[in-house]
Parts: sequence; structure tokens; C-alpha cells
Amino acid sequence: MSWRIGVDIGGTFIDFCALETGTNRFETIKVLTTPDEPGKELLDGLGLLHERHGVAPEEVASFVHGTTVGINTIIQRKGSRLALITTAGFEDVIELARLRMPEMYSLFCARPEQLIPRDRIYGVRQRQLASGEIAEPLDTDALAGIVEAIRTKGVDGVIVSFLHAYRNGVHEAQARALITELAPELFVFTTSEVWPVIREYERTTTAILNGYVHPRVAGYLTALEAALASRGVPAGPMLTKSNGGVMNAQTGKRACVNMLLSGTASGVIGAAWLAEQAGVRNVLTLDIGGTSADLALIIDGQPQFGTGEVVGDFPLFLPSVSVTSIGSGGGSIAWADDFGVLKVGPESAGSTPGPACYGRGGTRATVTDAMAASGFLGHTPLAYNQIGMDRARADAVIGELAGKLGLAPQATAEAIIAVAVSEMFVEVNKLVARYGVDLREFTLMPFGGAGPMLGCFLARELGIPRVLVPHRPGVVSALGGLIADVKGDFIQTVFAAAVPDSLPTLREALARLKTDGLAWIRDDQRFAGPVVEILTADMRYHGQSFEIEVPLSEGWLADGDLAPITEAFHRQHLAIYDFNDIAAEVQIVNLRLVVSGATPRPNLAPAAEAQTATATPEHMIDVWLDGAKREVALYHRDALRNGHRFTGPAVVAQQDTTVCIPEGFEAQVDAWLNLHLSLRPEA
Amino acid sequence: MVDKVTLQVLANHCRAAAENMAYTLYRTAHSTFVKETEDFTVMVMDKTGRVVAVPMDLGATWYPGMNYNRAIDLVDEYRPGDIAFTNDPYSGYLATHAPDTHLWKPIFHEGEIVCFVGGHVHNTDMGGAVPASLSRSLTEIHQEGIRFPPMTLMRDGVFDEKVLAIMSMNVRKPHLNMGDLKALAGALNTGERKILAMVRKFGAKGFMDGLDGLMDYAEHQAREILRSMPDGDYVFADYADEDGVDGNPCRLKLTLTIKGDEAILDFTGSDPQLGSSLNVPTGSDPRHTLLLVGVYYVLYTLNPQLMLNSGLTRPFTCIAPEGTVLNPSFPAAVGMRSLTCARLRSLVFGAFSLAIPERMPAAPAGSSSIVNVMTTDERTHRSVIAAINPVVGGGGGMPHRDGPNGSGADAAYLKNTPIEITETEVPIQFVHYGLLPDSGGPGRWRGGLATVMEFKVFAPNSRITVRNRDRSIFRPWGTLGGLSAETSNFIINPGAANERVLGNTDIAIAEPGDIIHIHSPGGGGRGSALDREPERVLLDVERGYVSAEMAKTRYGVVIVEGAVDLDATAALRATLRPNAHTTHFHFGPERDAFEQVWHARNYDDLTGLLSALPVHWRFFVKTKIFAAIRDAANAGDVETAFAAVRRDYPQVPQVMLTAA
Repeated sequence: MSWRIGVDIGGTFIDFCALETGTNRFETIKVLTTPDEPGKELLDGLGLLHERHGVAPEEVASFVHGTTVGINTIIQRKGSRLALITTAGFEDVIELARLRMPEMYSLFCARPEQLIPRDRIYGVRQRQLASGEIAEPLDTDALAGIVEAIRTKGVDGVIVSFLHAYRNGVHEAQARALITELAPELFVFTTSEVWPVIREYERTTTAILNGYVHPRVAGYLTALEAALASRGVPAGPMLTKSNGGVMNAQTGKRACVNMLLSGTASGVIGAAWLAEQAGVRNVLTLDIGGTSADLALIIDGQPQFGTGEVVGDFPLFLPSVSVTSIGSGGGSIAWADDFGVLKVGPESAGSTPGPACYGRGGTRATVTDAMAASGFLGHTPLAYNQIGMDRARADAVIGELAGKLGLAPQATAEAIIAVAVSEMFVEVNKLVARYGVDLREFTLMPFGGAGPMLGCFLARELGIPRVLVPHRPGVVSALGGLIADVKGDFIQTVFAAAVPDSLPTLREALARLKTDGLAWIRDDQRFAGPVVEILTADMRYHGQSFEIEVPLSEGWLADGDLAPITEAFHRQHLAIYDFNDIAAEVQIVNLRLVVSGATPRPNLAPAAEAQTATATPEHMIDVWLDGAKREVALYHRDALRNGHRFTGPAVVAQQDTTVCIPEGFEAQVDAWLNLHLSLRPEA
Repeated sequence: MVDKVTLQVLANHCRAAAENMAYTLYRTAHSTFVKETEDFTVMVMDKTGRVVAVPMDLGATWYPGMNYNRAIDLVDEYRPGDIAFTNDPYSGYLATHAPDTHLWKPIFHEGEIVCFVGGHVHNTDMGGAVPASLSRSLTEIHQEGIRFPPMTLMRDGVFDEKVLAIMSMNVRKPHLNMGDLKALAGALNTGERKILAMVRKFGAKGFMDGLDGLMDYAEHQAREILRSMPDGDYVFADYADEDGVDGNPCRLKLTLTIKGDEAILDFTGSDPQLGSSLNVPTGSDPRHTLLLVGVYYVLYTLNPQLMLNSGLTRPFTCIAPEGTVLNPSFPAAVGMRSLTCARLRSLVFGAFSLAIPERMPAAPAGSSSIVNVMTTDERTHRSVIAAINPVVGGGGGMPHRDGPNGSGADAAYLKNTPIEITETEVPIQFVHYGLLPDSGGPGRWRGGLATVMEFKVFAPNSRITVRNRDRSIFRPWGTLGGLSAETSNFIINPGAANERVLGNTDIAIAEPGDIIHIHSPGGGGRGSALDREPERVLLDVERGYVSAEMAKTRYGVVIVEGAVDLDATAALRATLRPNAHTTHFHFGPERDAFEQVWHARNYDDLTGLLSALPVHWRFFVKTKIFAAIRDAANAGDVETAFAAVRRDYPQVPQVMLTAA
């Protein structure tokens, strides 16, 4: 008997999923976070799992968790003190960045404070060219002087970033060796080891983020290993990564930058698996928590990957599950401006004090209060009785805002929901335009504490005809960790024209990728099972400023046949951009290899079928919906069985969320107890 | 269903339509102007052509207050499926130079036009005298490429092949123009789908009334901001370095009158229209968007919740007399109006700085050089033409913080290209790309630093073009005791024996091994540098933003062995303070010297006199009067100079000097 455990640490709660491998028994719990004692909640949760569900620590064969320790280190600016050494003449690389700033209409637009201020950035004479050829040797005397200066600055570590080091990392390695020799107390990361990709700002920033979170993440992981060991858990902890995969804690201590988006990414991985199980291929995921909403597309069963996701104030240029975050959630505050127009956000009541109706000190109307005042919430204990629901407080704060607006309280609550939904509508539209997809072919999957509350309203606004609410919407991210594969990304910048002359370069790059990838998965991750390698290339037409990623077959390179490579690019370019240019020169900028080892998916048994097709409501409740007071059916999620059907308007209450279903939706429960809601065409 | 309380819902739907159009265009366009520079716009308009919504993520910032209606009216008939277009700066005053092609599409519902969607792309080339169709030296619009008056480009969903064939025949990169036009047409079709969905949701009347509501909302916000400013007349002038190649300064002047919740922007006193392509075509439109771009920035800065649509232009009335640089008469050249527009924005910022000094920053750098290189790749012997990084300067010191370094304010939308990408593709080698120490205007809040870019070329006859060069003579100004910033420059082989200092020149031929150096201006300082905390000055010195020398001379901070000597600093500041600069603006020695001769009365006399002359005489006479005054050793007055000019050129019509 053994258990696999997936854990996701959020702002308010920490979620646990436990899967018994033999029986496929599946249990979940939720524990309040203890911000003052990080790590304590993990042990609390393990204790609770043991107590309630009999999950003995010594039977835990795998422990995968998503943690916000890395991203919080960046957001709270509590990372290490670093110095940066660049090629002389290019010391301002991180301050100039890519120039363009947010808020481009404001004369007060500004850049965030850099993680390494300019007085700890040093230029050293050395130069590689774009070809990798060394044009000027590394000035080691000058470097020794710089190291001496750095040692007076009280730093923890050094980042080394030289121009064109993605092509030739010799000078960076030489510099690292010298720094380590002269100042063994400093840790050193070079851009060519962290992520050797062309584009100096992007590569440097990625290495800096890695060094910035390194001491905290490493310390956290060491403590976690000790804690688990102290409880007698035999498994070493695994970490979810921004790329949707997992790695072991040992790797995570140095490759820290890879876990910055661990929770959001595993939410999408969890959603993709649930969708697959439910037989749905195209999904828009909507994970709404207290302060933010995360949106992602799953196209033909595949989560989408990209680079340039934003972490705190900084872009992250590693392959990551593409997630759009909006500062709009259940805690977003509603207010009226001086013209009498209702606004929702960007200010949020967050998890403390939270919405007024939680009775934890919140005094301003939030989206959750609007839902409560409309009668949707409070029909079942929330979050396993850890949060109370005080309708009267919601009515009071909504009533106060209604007074300012000159509207009835119910109309005010409904307007808050409409405005909040329209904020998300803008972001979804941008996402859809970026991918060029048609939402009518998609299913919305809402999860997180507030997702199912707002999901149907957003679907209706977007013209998405189907909504899929997972059985346990509160633990999708934890589930994602539990099922994620061991997965590493490798990159080689080649910047070669797609012509036969480039073949030796391409083959050499591929060989290096394969060596590195296999060493990672076999030696570092100790993964013994079958390894899957996916080869892609970042390609573009000569003169374009960005690339698209094209899947390649290894055989094409081995055979020396470039035609299928360029054809695949032309095809994909046409699909994404609506045009291609068969006559133009094609460039291969990077070769990428994804190396992964599969984690067995739980093979859950279908739930027992309901005896009748019609679900029986618990009772009727009064809600304010679509401009009128209505009596609607209230269902308890736990009472909904495989095969049950019912029609909206309805409310489904469950421990971790509430599902609001307006009129026009038909609901059906599937064999895995997912709730499929479909909008009648005329509705 | 749209009422005032839920106006935000319609605003979000309109913005979603605009963002959707922008992403579609960005995704499908071909040219680097769209892809890299993001020199494009898209918008949702009401049924008369007033802009109601623009994207906030992508594109340029100039057109949220635009009104398409004059151009719309120049096309006789609209049918469903039509798209109309123009690039003529003088027909409807929509396109403001020939490379900008504007398209608009009527959206029909039950046979009636409910609104328009539209947008523009900057075409890589529209033909004419020079590649890219832009040069300061051009003198009439006919040299700036082929022009299409407002006409139907697409009928019943089908492009007019004749129009496309004529364009293709006349431009240098037809496939780029065609690709971008089709991408923009595709974006407008996306917009149409989104609009029709809104009409279904809100009802045709609800939608159209809602658009009016959104413009009323923006108008209300703009009026609230104006009401918060003290009534009064605020007079300001700023200068472009030169009015043409080897020219004289070009003055822009603004009298900003704020009264209650309205404002008048009177540009009378600005230069006559120029014999170069620096003219800004505005067609006597009292709310022309180019005259108001600076206003959008000011309003948005003061209220970041501002709805950006044409409603916010309603409280403003602009006066720009005909035949002047801000309202040229056909056929004046207008291609490089972007240089003048940068001055126009700093002019507006300066006037508002007088009205609300406590809420406005000092001048941003105000000149972003757009650099292109044409050279030969020695490996392939192929000619390479490439856009290199824009060279952008910092923002002005703000009421609460330093100006950002290397970009900011009205240049914040520009992007650069990684050095590693450029070096891979273009046979040049960068020597330096970074911030220029001591270039930001000293102040309580320092101006943002300038950027410096240096690269080496390897082939003979490498041609370097650097558009929008300005602020090489007149500095970005400081305010409230803050000092002006460093000027820009363009130098070949700086510091070497064969150094060539090119100032605001915008083209140069380089030899193998030459180092090309371009640096931007910095941002102006705000508040007295003597009031800046010594620790902050020390930090600036440690960070290399400010030299120890400047810390001492400008900030009065004495640094000894890496620490502030507080006593010495206090003593030094006490001696510097009596001579500290105290007027509202600090312009720097160049402008001060210029205004010794060309003081306000003299310049007002000049523009008054020129405005009385027929348009075709104005630039000629301005040039002659400048020469006459330069020759008159200690600066005669304009009247005497004019008399001297008339002696040499009796053909010049006699006009009387009237008090300005």
C-alpha cells in the first residue's frame, strides 16, 4: 500500500490530494496557511491526512508540491544580495531592458527597481562575437580587481553575463572559476548554465532571478526534506515547475528559477487531465482565487507553452505554461467613481481581511459579497468549516454602495458581478485574439474558490456554450502536481539559415541537447522509466523579430533533409499568422529539447450511476438573478451522482466552492462526477 | 440595458473589441513598422467617426481623440462590406504623413450604420523621392510618395485590385504594403464581428447611446481635471533645433487659457510653415489629435482611470493659424512631422507645468533617434538594410521621483532590439549601449539619463540614417529650480583625430572601421538640486549616474572616500544657494543666448510680420531676417532687419509690423 501526495500552497489555503496507488482511492483536504510559520501547514496537513484518511507517513511514496516561496521572494523583494558582471560597455543591460514600459500614456511611467542596483554591476573587458569567435580575451587581472571590489559589498552571490555567451560559454566558465577561487564564499551563476538563449536582457534576467531566489529556495527545500524525514516519509520531495513538469528538490536547489510559476502551471496540468478524462479537447481554464484570476487555453488537449510570463515585476524567459493573470478575484473591491460609474478592482480585500461576509474584518463590498447578497452563498459550510459566512455583513456593505449609486441593493450586487465579469471578458478576448481561436469550440473550466461562482456568467458573456466544473474545483492545482511528469527543457541557440550548410551545426546542437537531457533525467532525477524526447525549433523568416516554435522530427536532421523542416515552418506560420512566404529565407534560431518521464495517471473507477436521471434539490432558495428575484433549486455537490441531470437556474453548494448556474444552462453529471453545463442555443 | 452605473461593462466590451483588432493586426502584419515599432493604431468610432475606444496594450499613442468624420464624408457612398482608405495628409486631415494609411469600415445593422471601426499602419515606403518616403530635406508633398484621397478600397468584401495595382506600381516594397493593408482589413473585419456581438447584447440603440455615454464620461473626466487647475493664461515656447537642413531654430508657441472646465490652446506665434518636411498638417481643426497628444498624456497622468476617447477633447479648443508650421497650406511637405510633434508635446507639457507646477514633471528628453544602417556584409557581399535600436532619453524629474533612465514619458512605447540579434544579422559590432552619466538634469528629483549607443561598421559607403534628430542645441528644460539636461549628439569617431560632430544631421556616410556614436538628450530636473538628499546624490555617484564632480558643482554634495562629508556639504550648499537658479524654467545657456537676441518681443514681431505675408513668402523672409540679424553684430530688431531684407529683395511685399 502506498500513497502519492500532491500539495498546492496558496495565499489562504494549502490544498492536499492523496492517491492510494493500488486502490486508486482519492482523498483531499484543505488547511489554512500559517504565514508566520511557513512549513508548519505542511506537517499539519500530513497529520490531518493520517488522522482522517489513514494516510500513514511511511506509506508516502511520492510527495509533489507547488510552492510560492520563489515567487514571494521576488514579489516581497526578500531575495539575496547579488552582483552582476557583464561585458564592458553593456553594464546597463538590465536597466535599459527592452525599453518599452507599461502605462505608456502616463508621464509618470517608471521601471521597477532592479534586483541588482547599478553600483553592484561591473563591466569587464572581453568579447565574443555572434559567431562565438573570441574577439578579445577575458581580462583576468581586471576581473580579479572586480572580485575584490565585490567582496567589500557584502553580497551573497554573483551573476556572470557576457554577450553571445549562449554561443560560447568559455569566458563565463573561466570567470566563474576565477570568482570561486578568489571568493569561495560567493555562489556564482552564469547565463550560459542557467538558460543559454540568445537575447542578452532576457538571458541575464533569467539568471538573476535564479540567483535572487536561490538561497531562500535552497534553504526552504533543505528544511522541507528534514521535516518530511522527521515524520518518517520515505519519499524525497518533488517540486512542480513552471513548465508543468516536476523535478526533485536536489535539482530545485540550484535550478530555482524553474519553479517560480509552479502553482499556476500545475493548475493547468490538472485541468488538462480532468478535461481529458471528461472527453473535452479545447478548454479555457479559469482559476479564480481571492485576489487574481488565471486564464489559460488548452488546445486539442495540450496546455499552451510560452516564454515571457511575468513574475512580480520581471519577465521570465523560460518555457512556462502560458497563463494570463488578472488582478480580479473574489476579493476585488467594488466602488463608485465621481461620475457615478461602478468600478470593480484593482484594489482587493485579499485573504486578509477578505470579503465582508467572511466576518474577518472586511468592511468594503467585494465580488464575493455581491454573490452573498444575491443569495448564492452560505448554503453549506465553506472550506470544511474553516470560514464562516455572514450574509448580513454582505447586505450591509452592498447596501452602503447601493446608496452611493442610487440603485437598489440587488441591482447593485448584480451590477458588481456584471462589471467583474466584463473585466475578465477583456483579458479573455486578448488571449483569444493572440491565439486566433474560436471560443465557440471551447469549454470553460472554472476552478479555484471563486471560479465556479462566476464561470457561467463569463461563459454566457463570451459565447462559450459549455462549462465543465470539476468534482473538486478547489484542489485542481494540487492534483496537477500529483500527476505531472518529470520534465526538463534544454535549449541551444544556433541561429542558422535553414540550408544544408547549417546541418553540421544543427546536428552538433542536437547531440549536445540529447546528452544534457539524458544526463538530467537519468542521473539528476534518477528516472528509470521510458524517456520521451520532443524536439522543436524556434524559427522565423529572415528579418522577423520573433520566432514560432515548430515541432521537428529527429530523422529530418539525421537524413539531412531540410525540406520537411521548412515546410513545417511555412505551414505553422500560415496557421498562426494567416500568411506565409515560401520564397523567403527561413532561420532556425534555437533548437529545443523537452525530456520527460511519465508519471502514472490515476485510473479512477467510474462513480456508481444514479438511480434516477433527475437530481433532487435539497430545497429551494431565493436568489437575485438576471434582474429578478427567483426561487431556484439548491443542490449539494455530494448528493449529485453519475448520470444526474437538472436545469438552471440552480445553485450547487460544495465544501470548496459554490457553482452558480443561470437560466438557460442544462446540467449533467458524468462518471467522474464532473458537472457538464451546456447553454441551450436559444438562451 | 446600458445605464451610467454599468457603463464600465460597455467600456470593457469596446476595449475588448479594440484589443482584439490590435492583436489580430499585430499577429498578421508583415512589416517591421508594425511588428517592432508598433507604429499602428486601431479604434472603435461612433457613427460619425469620433473615436470611442482604443487598445491599451499595443500600438502608438497618438489617436485616441481622433475624429474621422471629415475623411468619412469625402467618400460618397457606404455599403455593407465596404472599407475606405486614404493616406493623403491634405484630404480630411486624417493621415498626417503619406506613409500612414488609414482604413475605416462602416458597421451596418439592419441597413443602418451603427458605427465605424478603423485604424492605420505606417507603410515602410509609399514611393517618392527617398526610400521610406521620409526626409527632412523634402520641400513639397509631391516628393513624399503617392497619395490616395479618401476612396473605397474594398467593396462588398473584395479589394479593389486597380487601387492595389496603382499602389504596388508606385512603392518600393509593395509586398509589405499589401501584407499590412490586408492585415489591417482583417483586423477591421474582426472589429465588425465584435461590434455586431455588442449590438446583439446591448441592442442597436443601447449600443449607440452607450457610445455617447462613454464620450460624455471621458468629457466629464477631462472637465473635472481642468476644473482642478487654476484659471489663467499660461504662455510657453519651445524650439526645434533647426527648421530644415542648415536652418534656423523653429519656435512653437502656446498660450494655454484655462477657464473653469474648459481650455483654449492658442498656437499663434509659432513659426510660419517651413520649407522642409517638418510641418504638422492639422487642417484648422480645433480638436486635431496631433495638437492634443500632449494633452492626452497630461490628462492620463493626472487621472490614470481616464477613458481614452474623443470625448476628452471636447473641453479643448485649438487655434493654429493657417500657413504656419502647425497648420501648413498645401503643398507643404509634412513627412518628418514626428520631430515637430515631439516639440509640440513638450510645448504642451511646459504650458501645463506653468498651470499646475506641483503636479507636472520636468521636460522629458523629447527626441528619440530612429537609426537605420545600410551596409555590406563582407561574408556574402550582400547589401544589408536594418533598423538598429532607437536611441531614447529619460523622463523628466517627477513631483515624487526621478525620471526613468533611458526611456520614459512620451517615448515609453518604443522598443529596442537585442544587441545579440542585431550583431547576428547585421555586420556591425556594438562597442557601447548604455546610459550616459551626468546627462540627466540635476534637481531635487533628477531627470532620467540619456542613452548612448556606439557601433563600428566594416564596409565602405555604409549609410547611417538617424531620423528625428533634435535637442542637439536646445536642452530639455528643468522646472522649479531643477536644471536642464544634456543635449543629444551624433558623432563619428568620437575623440579620434578623424572625429566628425554631426549634431542634428540625420544622414552620414561612414568608412570601414568608423565608430558611430549617437546619444540622446536626458530628461530635465525638477526642484533645486541643492535640496536633493545627500545620500541620494551619493547613491547616484556610486551607481555612476552622476560624477563626483557634478555632485559637487551642481548638487553641492562633497563626497570624501565614498561618504558624504555633511559639514562640507552644508557649507558648500550655503555658498551655492544665493546663485541658484529660481525662475520656473531652466533652459540652459544655448537657449538663454539665443533669447538674448531672439527675445519674446523680437520673435513675436517676427511671427506677426510673417503672418501678414503671403504664405509662399514666409519661410524665405524668415530665413533672410535671421541672416540679417545674425549679421547685425549686436542684434538689431526685426523691423530694421525686415527693412534690410526688403532693400535686398524689393519684391518682398511690404507689410506693417503690428504689435503681437
